[in-house]
Amino acid sequence: MISFLLILVSSIFFVGIIIKVKAKIAARKMPSVFQPLFDVIRLFKKGAIYSSTTSVIFKITPLVYMASVLMATLFIPIGSQKGFLSFEGDFVFFAYLLAMGKFMMIIAAMDTGSGFEAMGANREALYSMLVEPAFFILIGSMALFTHNTSFQDLYMNLHAGTELTYIISIAAIYILIYIAMIENSRMPVDDPKTHLELTMVHEVMVLDNSGFDLGLIHIATWLKFAIYGGLISNFVIQTTWIWYYQITAFLGIQILFAIIIGLVEAFRARNKMEKNPQWIIMLSAIAVVIFLTTLIITQKIILN
Amino acid sequence: MFILFVIISITISLSIFFVRNNILTKILSAVFLLMLTGISGYAFIHINEISSHYYKFDDLGVLLAFVLSILSLATFYHSYLYLKRHNFTNKQEAGYYASIIMLITAMMSAYFAENIAVLWISIETTTLFVSILIFFERTKEALEAAWKYLFVSSVGVALAFIGILFLSITASSNGITDLSLLHLIEIASSMSSIWLKMAFLLVLTGYSAKMGLFPLHTVAIDAHTVAPPPISAFISTTLMNVGFLGIYRVFTIVAQTEVLHWAQNVLLIAGVLSVFMSAIQLLKIKHYKRMFAFSSLEHMGIVALGLGIGGIGYYAAILHLVFHSFVKAGLFYQIGQVHRYFKSYWIKDAYGYFKINPVGGLALILGFISILAIPPSGMFVSEFLTFKAMFLTKHYYIAIFILILLTLIIYSFSKNILHLLFNEADEEIEINEIKPNPYESISQFVLFGLVIYLGINPPVFFTDLIDAAIAILN
Amino acid sequence: MTYLFIILYAVTLIYFALSERVKKFIWLLAIQGSILFGIVFFSLNKIEVFDFVFILIETILVKSIIVPWFLNKVRRHNHLKREHEPSIPVFYSIIVVVISLLLSFILSSQLNDNQIHTKYFTVAFASILFGVYFIIIHKNIFSHVVGYLIIENGIFLLSLAVGSVMPMMVNLAILLDVLMGVLVLGIFINQVGDTFKSVEIDQLSNLKD
Repeated sequence: MISFLLILVSSIFFVGIIIKVKAKIAARKMPSVFQPLFDVIRLFKKGAIYSSTTSVIFKITPLVYMASVLMATLFIPIGSQKGFLSFEGDFVFFAYLLAMGKFMMIIAAMDTGSGFEAMGANREALYSMLVEPAFFILIGSMALFTHNTSFQDLYMNLHAGTELTYIISIAAIYILIYIAMIENSRMPVDDPKTHLELTMVHEVMVLDNSGFDLGLIHIATWLKFAIYGGLISNFVIQTTWIWYYQITAFLGIQILFAIIIGLVEAFRARNKMEKNPQWIIMLSAIAVVIFLTTLIITQKIILN
Repeated sequence: MFILFVIISITISLSIFFVRNNILTKILSAVFLLMLTGISGYAFIHINEISSHYYKFDDLGVLLAFVLSILSLATFYHSYLYLKRHNFTNKQEAGYYASIIMLITAMMSAYFAENIAVLWISIETTTLFVSILIFFERTKEALEAAWKYLFVSSVGVALAFIGILFLSITASSNGITDLSLLHLIEIASSMSSIWLKMAFLLVLTGYSAKMGLFPLHTVAIDAHTVAPPPISAFISTTLMNVGFLGIYRVFTIVAQTEVLHWAQNVLLIAGVLSVFMSAIQLLKIKHYKRMFAFSSLEHMGIVALGLGIGGIGYYAAILHLVFHSFVKAGLFYQIGQVHRYFKSYWIKDAYGYFKINPVGGLALILGFISILAIPPSGMFVSEFLTFKAMFLTKHYYIAIFILILLTLIIYSFSKNILHLLFNEADEEIEINEIKPNPYESISQFVLFGLVIYLGINPPVFFTDLIDAAIAILN
Repeated sequence: MTYLFIILYAVTLIYFALSERVKKFIWLLAIQGSILFGIVFFSLNKIEVFDFVFILIETILVKSIIVPWFLNKVRRHNHLKREHEPSIPVFYSIIVVVISLLLSFILSSQLNDNQIHTKYFTVAFASILFGVYFIIIHKNIFSHVVGYLIIENGIFLLSLAVGSVMPMMVNLAILLDVLMGVLVLGIFINQVGDTFKSVEIDQLSNLKD
């Protein structure tokens, strides 16, 4: 329960920090950390406008999206703070909850009948499809390593190893950071600040959403960031630590993660559109290396 | 003893390269040739003796060293003619002689190497110097061919090295840690067959670039097309023998085990495909030197077939290798002469040679008869023995297929050579007015005559050498 | 500790497949050289002075300093910046490298020969396979030399896999091979670059039937 609340809390200021870092580097006046929150509150005060060509799918999508992300949040443990829900194989459920939300977003974008939105949906579907093997190979390797198939047990048993576990952790953090970037359509894959519909991925999909719906989508994005931050922080936080250390570490890692994203976005240019698939599949390749490392550690492959 | 030869040769090569004095170059080359003949004779007297720890004067090595000595004499003579007729600078000439001496030394080292690693190093070294010689004329084509030869050979040699590593894996499990051929053959029967198979396959593929056999033969063919004729003569004869030796040494190890049958099948495939490729390419050939190059591919295919069949095939393979060396070298020297009149190796640009230079034409006819294995050529004997072995071991289909391909080869080869000799087309072609010098064809007559003589009436020491060389296989 | 370097080596192979800049190839070769040093350094139990000096020369000096430095010179001489599109998209190359890694790991786990250190065999085999593939997909003779060096690194690892039984001479041979190979090939690249004004392989297609 605590982990759920922690993620909710951290999600509020996450995007704010990114914006702050980017503004600082661009030597602009920094907005408040809570600026995204104010924006969403403003959006909530407005009503939504629906195009006459859209159907019920378009209307329920933001709710389903938000619900799926919230539901996924329930599975994340933090250190020794257990997740709200946990069962064997829950990471598959977790992945497909997020995927379901995404699926709704895609069909909603198609529902509007706009050429641009269909194009954005197309790209989003491709990238999600490509990133999926990376996530599953990574978490699968963890499961193999710890002989557990739920997030909670998996992380509980992770920290007992040799120097090879450090490689796995570093590589896993690397992969998760970039998965988070891709899932949230951030910099190397997509530029949230772009103004040309032809080069957008995520932004173009939500062009028709307004008011309350748009606010929900924004909150879901924050939550997704916080979820991945939670997943990453678990690689660092030891279950043997005292609870307030764990919480401080979690918040610290969330802030650090946000700052890293801000830095990446400030300094890096977006990939060329046709380079994206190869870049994303590279994550899967590294995940395969992690998998092979796990096989060596667990002596599934015996080498001499 | 042998290491001394290597050291002196390197010294000679270096002094030629740095002094760049014409007279000194000639004297030192003569000294080198004498020394080369001397070491071959020394090896023959001290046959089967270990020399300088890594070398051994074994029978096949001695035989091939004799071939190399004879061809070196001729090659130096033709190199001299070649360099005299082109305007090269002193520096280039010195570089030419220095490289060719290093090439010959590396080849000698490969022939006598008793250790597989030393053999490998020698082969690697030949690549380097041959590439320099191929690039000698500094044309675009020469650069292209030299690059391809250097690169593909390097990769091939690297593959062969992987094969040698595999060999050493299985050898070390039997307690042999050096790569001495003698020790490897001793423990061959206890080697693991899967490693041996992989090793043989890799060595065959890797050295095929050197031998000019099927998988990597293309680079050797490109190299022939542009190299100076005396160098082409070397590439397609003694250097191919080096590649053959590299494969043969591993084959002798394989022959002691049950993998032999498998390895022979691989050789049969490589051989048949070589002859097939050559037959196909010869049908549409447009360039005389390229034609001879594809003919080398064919003959190497026949050698591989001989090894692949076994029995008399082994004898035939070695015999064929030696005869092919003499005949092909002679043809390349002669085509170098032809080039003087027509300034081109393209078939469309050169014909009517017999009228211009009857003696040279006669040499070409003799070479043409010899290379196609028409009696009285010695190559008839070796090819006949190969086919006999095929029929004795009931490889009927292969034999018939190869015979059909040979017919095609004879057809295309005769068509082009007869065109070169006797065709008198209406349109005028540009012919350089040079007084023919019949003495330049003497070396060719000697080589072709040698092949006929060795084929009809082989001296005892010659057959004994071959018999001793293949004794380990039977 | 050896495993750490082996895993890192596998990662460099993936980056080879991903990168398209000639400069990056050279960097990756230098990194591979240092990784090889790490592997040898941590895996030799009783290291003798002579061996140590030799390994230092071979890996640090040659593989990670001289060869990259020389290649960089060649690169600047020929004004090479970006590799043109390889004949197979990078996307598939990454899949190929992953498959070759998986294949060689599976193969090494199947090998239960006591004489061979399968932990080196894993990346060695993948490296050789990938080197050959690298040569095939690139159309630029400079990249061909890079592929050749990847193969050579694989062979170096393979000779480690064979173990300490390898004679010193063989190691010397590898060293010579790399050094001579790179120097001579590099000089020829410069020649090709000067003569044809490009190092694309398409230029080298005059010789055919």
